[in-house]
Amino acid sequence: MRFLALLFAAAISLGVSGAQAQPTDLKAVLEVHAEQIERPKRLQVGEVVNDLIALGTPEVTEFLQRWQNRELHMREADGQFFYVGEGTPIELIDVVSGQVVGTAQDSELKQLRPNAGVRRVLGSALVQFQLSDPNILRRVAAVDSIARRPQADQLAPLLASIPDEPDAALKERKERLAGLLTARFDETTDARVAAIEALSGELSLDVQAVMNQILATRDQVAVALPEDENIAEIYEVGADLGTVEAYAQLVSAELAPAVIPNDAIRNALAANIDGGFVGGVPVAQLNTDAARATAYTALAEAGTVPPLVTDADISSAVQSHVFYAIYTEPDVAVTDAANDALNEITTRVGMNQALDLTLDGLSLASIYFLAAIGLAITFGVMGVINMAHGEFIMMGAYTGYVVQLFIPDYTLSILVALPLAFAITFGAGVAMERLVIRWLYHRPLETLLATFGISIALQQLAKNIFGTQARPLTSPGWLDGAWVMNDVVSISYIRIAIFILALIFLGLLLFILNKTRLGLEVRAVTQNPGMAASMGINPDRINMLTFGLGSGIAGIAGVAIGLYAKVTSEMGADYIVQSFMTVVVGGVGNVWGTLAGASLIGFLQKGIEWFNPANTLAAQTYMILFIILFIQFRPKGIVALKGRAAGD
Amino acid sequence: MTTFKTCAALTTAALMATTTAALAQDCPVKVGVLHSLSGTMAISETTLKDTMELLIEQQNEKGGLLGCEIEAVVVDPASDWPLFAEKARELLTVSEVDVIFGSWTSVSRKSALPVLEELNGLMFYPVQYEGEESSKNVFYTGAAPNQQAIPATDYFLEELGVEKFALLGTDYVYPRTTNNILESYLIDKGIAEEDIFVNYTPFGHSDWATIVADVVALGADGKQVGVISTINGDANIGFYKELAAAGVSADDIPVVAFSVGEEELSGLDTSNLVGHLAAWNYFQSAESEANDMWVAAWKERMGEERVTNDPMEAHYIGFNMWVNAVTEAGTTDVDAVRTAMYGQEFPNLTGGTAVMLPNHHLAKPVLIGEITADGQFDIISQTEEVPGDAWTDFLPESAVLKSDWQELGCGMYNVETETCVQLTSNY
Repeated sequence: MRFLALLFAAAISLGVSGAQAQPTDLKAVLEVHAEQIERPKRLQVGEVVNDLIALGTPEVTEFLQRWQNRELHMREADGQFFYVGEGTPIELIDVVSGQVVGTAQDSELKQLRPNAGVRRVLGSALVQFQLSDPNILRRVAAVDSIARRPQADQLAPLLASIPDEPDAALKERKERLAGLLTARFDETTDARVAAIEALSGELSLDVQAVMNQILATRDQVAVALPEDENIAEIYEVGADLGTVEAYAQLVSAELAPAVIPNDAIRNALAANIDGGFVGGVPVAQLNTDAARATAYTALAEAGTVPPLVTDADISSAVQSHVFYAIYTEPDVAVTDAANDALNEITTRVGMNQALDLTLDGLSLASIYFLAAIGLAITFGVMGVINMAHGEFIMMGAYTGYVVQLFIPDYTLSILVALPLAFAITFGAGVAMERLVIRWLYHRPLETLLATFGISIALQQLAKNIFGTQARPLTSPGWLDGAWVMNDVVSISYIRIAIFILALIFLGLLLFILNKTRLGLEVRAVTQNPGMAASMGINPDRINMLTFGLGSGIAGIAGVAIGLYAKVTSEMGADYIVQSFMTVVVGGVGNVWGTLAGASLIGFLQKGIEWFNPANTLAAQTYMILFIILFIQFRPKGIVALKGRAAGD
Repeated sequence: MTTFKTCAALTTAALMATTTAALAQDCPVKVGVLHSLSGTMAISETTLKDTMELLIEQQNEKGGLLGCEIEAVVVDPASDWPLFAEKARELLTVSEVDVIFGSWTSVSRKSALPVLEELNGLMFYPVQYEGEESSKNVFYTGAAPNQQAIPATDYFLEELGVEKFALLGTDYVYPRTTNNILESYLIDKGIAEEDIFVNYTPFGHSDWATIVADVVALGADGKQVGVISTINGDANIGFYKELAAAGVSADDIPVVAFSVGEEELSGLDTSNLVGHLAAWNYFQSAESEANDMWVAAWKERMGEERVTNDPMEAHYIGFNMWVNAVTEAGTTDVDAVRTAMYGQEFPNLTGGTAVMLPNHHLAKPVLIGEITADGQFDIISQTEEVPGDAWTDFLPESAVLKSDWQELGCGMYNVETETCVQLTSNY
């Protein structure tokens, strides 16, 4: 039995080694590398790919493409690889002939799923075959693959494929990519410098990446500066480089002996105790570093231990060497050109980043404006601190979600959701005003507590109805993606849409407040409710309508916020603090004030985030500190009501 | 089926005879369920409450435990962390439960710990967490960092060739501890400190534009950038939406998330997220018979659109191990059950076997999945079982610590000084 097994093993190993020597067709290669094909690793799959490409037959390209696209299946019973066709049982297609060779049940097959790293390797290998493929999708895949992992040997096939490229857009991409590859990999200095100069006007990430890769440096140390190296920078010890690091470089370059650490000294001393003495020093006296150093030096002089490296040794060793960085790219002309290009790019990137930050700030300001304007109206007109304002935002967002359940067309559903959200939250606001707030006028503390309670109740209600998992509120397809000015400045369309929505509401509110009867009455009640009442305005009705209007706008803000963020029962709570800050900073009861407050807070938040990118929470903390200070100096906010109306 | 039932009945009868004679088990056996049914954590934790009820129901159909019916005692700590301690005390002293299955967030577990240790209760904690803890009274059936974060990072380094890391997290204990561990691990692996970008955002953060732009800009030196996300809860939605809006595909900048599972994806349109990654010990798409049965049972109870996830599997393993340990010990007495727990083996849902280790963690396989368009995961990497490590080896202060309750009787044992640092886990 054992003999048989041995024989069998021998036969197998013979078979395998025989096949490894000369894998002549696809099947043989697959058999040899079966395990790597079933469970490929990025770092090892290259070997398989090389063997496959060495075959040079057309079915190999097909095989690699199918493998990359996860269309390859393995029959579990015998480890054979197939493509699969239609139907149940599933048709098995031979990888060489492309013919149906049998059928199998789903459970007998295992779909092979190479990971993204392996797929990238396959993609790179396929580039040479795909660049001139008649199928444009494959050509795009090849160009994508080069763009992600540019390699020197891709330049020639890429250049060769440009003249015959029928698609204009793709041709442009190919030319651009060829420029990038030329800058890095071309053999002649002139071509590279020209390519670099051509690229210096751009500020996209891949151009920056190319420049940075050309300018990659390596730290070096030597006794004197070499003549033939392309030196990037000479370090001054003390200023650019600490003595300890400098010495560590010397040690790793094997130009100096390593520093002996304290515990090694102690161990060496302990190992060399000789009749109560170490190197002539009594053991009892070895309780200071100085005494230990003396004993150790004595041992070192006797040759029993490696010599001690003193501070003086270190500084003299460091001083007798130069520390510098060289470019890994030997060509001075190329690195000079790349340096110039990168400097120019960096300046322009900086300017564009500032622009990008401004856009982000503007977008955040418009979101805060939308969230806060409703509050500004109710707070300003009625002096009611409505803690449930956030929950009206949430209600609006859930309205959007529910509408999408009934109207699958996203554009239409948003158009329906906006007025519906307004109507529902308007109703909810009026109901709340009638049922609760009306009874609590002039008792701000009780109002605060009551609305806070309502806010908690509404949150839990939403949880009970919709669950606490976030619900999708999907924006229409035409709002997907971003408006990209260049690689640095871009802003998503959804944020632009919110900005426009905020503008519309700014206009609408200004119109209502300044041009309509309702607005006139609202302003009158805001300024002096008692006087307004004696002029025949019914403050009760105005209060109700104002509260409804403020809540309604919150509902619309909810739809907008839900589109770009999320719809959960707690989303309102995320905005209530910011909304109050906006209103307080901006000045109570004034549309322009809210606008100014939202802008200030939005830009401030973005600015602080820019200074401290690692902790967004800290940014909010600093902002609140700033606002507290700001309120000390302008307690009535940016735009304060003046005169008797201010109620001073 | 009938034979199986008779068989089960017979065993039960036999068991009943022995146990009732020997120990006179109090019937019914009470299992405390300490999961929030209201407040922030409700959806995640409600699922686990349902899981426990399903498991208990299944066990009762098999004849209960020690001849008794198992009864679930469900309480609601309402996502209020101190309330977890109150409710744990109530379960142990008023309802007198034999075991508790509960908690999701680390802070809620930390809140219940002193009570469990004071009253010598027993709790099974089912969620992936930051480690650096080992209590005598808790069995951690979720993943420790070395069973999720470290293998995922290895996958980034080896398979995706990531050279520059963005560690994005929500600002609380789990992401901060995990990111500390990962930072020191990456530096060990030769990643320069300036190639690691760390950012913390508040719970529920929604304004991701600047952060996503920062991450994209990391690629300016031509290095492959990868994001390791410990962003928790609904903040993920804004993050992924912004990624999609910025046109960042998984091929450009892969994102691996430790807190995004099937349940979280059900709130998202996943078409833009295809190819991004998650690391767990379980995915619903795992191919095994046990998993097919489990998913079918779950869907039958909860509805066709419901999904299963990793913490559910942790409860599945934990509960079954506890049942076996109780059967073995012949009693639900906490100390006896704890002793019987060590070395308990139970087939996990991904095809292997989970083993309970003396440090109260499980040995489980690590799976990495790519998000698919239907909100599920394509499993693209599955390791052998990895033993959970309570004290990470990648932070100098905890590298010397070890937990072994079976031999050493200590959850915080310093192997250098060979002393037990402390027995309670009030650190």
